[in-house]
Amino acid sequence: MMNKKAFGAVAVAAAAALALSACSGGSAGGDTAKGEISYWLWDANQLPAYQQCAADFTKANPDITVKITQTGWDDYWSKITNGMASGTAPDVFTDHLSKYPDFLKTKQLVALDDAVTKDKVDLAQYNEGLADLWVGQDGKRYGLPKDWDTIALFYNQKMATDAGITPEQMGSLSWNPQDGGSYEKAIARLTVDKNGKRGDEAGFDKNNVAVYGLGLPGSDAENAGQTQWSYLSATTGWTTTDKNPWGTHFNYDDKKLQETIDWWASLAAKGYMPKLETTVGANAADSFGAGKAAINSNGSWMIGQYTGYKGINVGIAPTPQGPDGKRASMFNGLADSIWAGTKKKDAAIKWVEYLGSAACQDVVASKAVVFPAISTSSEKAADAFKAKNVDVTAFTQHVKDKTTFMLPITDNASKVAGIMKPAMDAVLAGKSPASSLTAANEQVNALFAK
Amino acid sequence: MSTLASPKTGARRRPFSGPFNWRRAIALTLLALAVAVSILPFYWVLRTALSTNGSLAANSANLLPADFNLGAFKRVFGLQSASEAIAEGGSGASINFWQYLWNSLLFSGITTACAVFFSSMAAYAFSRLRWKGRDAVFSLFLATMLVPPIFTALPNFLLIKNLGLLNSMLGLVLPYLFMTPFAIFFMRQFFLNMSREVEEAAMLDGAKHWRIFFQIVMPNAAAPIATLALLTFMGQWNEYFWPLLVGTSEESRVLTVGLGVFKSQSPQGAPDWSGLMAATLVSATPVLILFAIFGKRIVNSIGFNGTK
Repeated sequence: MMNKKAFGAVAVAAAAALALSACSGGSAGGDTAKGEISYWLWDANQLPAYQQCAADFTKANPDITVKITQTGWDDYWSKITNGMASGTAPDVFTDHLSKYPDFLKTKQLVALDDAVTKDKVDLAQYNEGLADLWVGQDGKRYGLPKDWDTIALFYNQKMATDAGITPEQMGSLSWNPQDGGSYEKAIARLTVDKNGKRGDEAGFDKNNVAVYGLGLPGSDAENAGQTQWSYLSATTGWTTTDKNPWGTHFNYDDKKLQETIDWWASLAAKGYMPKLETTVGANAADSFGAGKAAINSNGSWMIGQYTGYKGINVGIAPTPQGPDGKRASMFNGLADSIWAGTKKKDAAIKWVEYLGSAACQDVVASKAVVFPAISTSSEKAADAFKAKNVDVTAFTQHVKDKTTFMLPITDNASKVAGIMKPAMDAVLAGKSPASSLTAANEQVNALFAK
Repeated sequence: MSTLASPKTGARRRPFSGPFNWRRAIALTLLALAVAVSILPFYWVLRTALSTNGSLAANSANLLPADFNLGAFKRVFGLQSASEAIAEGGSGASINFWQYLWNSLLFSGITTACAVFFSSMAAYAFSRLRWKGRDAVFSLFLATMLVPPIFTALPNFLLIKNLGLLNSMLGLVLPYLFMTPFAIFFMRQFFLNMSREVEEAAMLDGAKHWRIFFQIVMPNAAAPIATLALLTFMGQWNEYFWPLLVGTSEESRVLTVGLGVFKSQSPQGAPDWSGLMAATLVSATPVLILFAIFGKRIVNSIGFNGTK
């Protein structure tokens, strides 16, 4: 219990904290190339690889140790933002294309140009386009690429066989927004109702579906449909913004997109895809693992998750060809950035350069979790996946065939998501037609009008 | 807690003897059903904790653990390396379990001790002292119970932020430290029923309020204080929203928040369910133990207060 004295202590502590907070913050910089630097990442599956990198790094640079902290995605960004405000952000952290424009705006990142020139970092070693993504509007470089991801279709091989669909057929699907092409036919065929009737058979009961042809993780308006619909909309020639990066005009009012979204939402109405409201709080990958969906479109970082389900034989097929006769996949790349408030800038630069080097990216490749940014390392990753009996050509093919397009990088990313998510959810839930996105698009564009 | 109160009407009969009685059969069935419904979630937590992640999805309807395995518990206690965890279909994420447990104990312990103590003092003032406007003030106080906590969350957060107490244990406990209307109400009800004679005798002996409170009232109120302490502790142990807002550093993060963060790894990735459930189970254990020891006392003292 607290007596008078203790209460006094509390009051003093409160006053002291108040005084301290008043004089913190401010000064940043410094340039010691020794001591401990902090490094944050969100993907726990990559933790072992980076622990290995940190150990190797310290062996080569005995003066510097790296403390790695892993924090789940939901919490990661708020912790970084809070840390930047309160002066406790990590020296180096895994950065995301959809987040870094906000950091640039508040000048939270260290430009790497001088270091890249001085240490002769070979920017051509990375897969094409990845390094350029990290050049801000001011023309300066704020991250070195660490990995990339593309989209493919994970499917349940047994279900496909039962439905009479061969892996070759799964690998050569085509799609168009009018009738859905062979992609929709496959989805319908893979959908089975409680009585065992398939989606393309007479008497199919769309209100009592046992297995959905296509799983639904949500509308994903936050990342411009990265895993859900961007691999379709991009084959119609549609782009999210007028230019990328740093577009200032969004195209959600384009008929090409709206047709795509209408088709996509119609899958739920036809009973081939779960209704949006039934997926809230559920995990699409787990539903797939439970045999409730036959196909899931998802990113390469999910390979481990999908191949980890026991008792399910997972096939990976490339995304369908669209009206332009090509496949498409959003190309997203992560990088490591340095926080402007770091007290150990030189050490941090050394670590970032090491993370961006073949030495570390080969280690990441050997663990077969993601595809490293360096071309030679990502080939090694493909081999490592192969050694695990996972054929990842569906993902790498996009890079080889140059059928990728970049994740849209814009200012106001979180505000755009705040407007687009409810609008997209309403369309997907069947509450409004895709033409309602035009109104949302006007709101989004108004953000850039100032 | 309604299932705990047994009806005591009529003569005591042994439930399983005598002629078959439809009413009793129905009552027993309903009771069994109610017990099953309240126990099942706990069983499901245990079952998931003992399962292997990769097998969970495919065996979602199986009552037994899917691929029985203790790895999840090892993960919780930090006895498993990240690569081992991933090989088992878990996530390489670690939960800083002992630190969070310590934080939870501190948070719940400090707030419980202080809130109970200060609330008792306030309740004493509201029940044993006579002062102008006492009942009006008390009514006002009671009225604050009607204000949903979410209304005060933002102003409190801003206050704590401006005091520079974010991410500190002090900032975490401060809003709960002095009193809660419920605790005052609870203690006041008890104090109101205490006999005046002892108190008056003490006054004749020259004791002042301070001494009466500490040497007469408080010792006599041991039972309700224990009850209140336990209820407060359990409430604090399960508190989520405020600690989520204020305690985001490792040093001030409590178990409930830690578990919530552990749930999300990579975007769209499925949570490490067995690890999450194992951690949940372990974190619920202190409260379960407390309840097992003091549960009867709570029921008794609530009954005692309710019948008067």
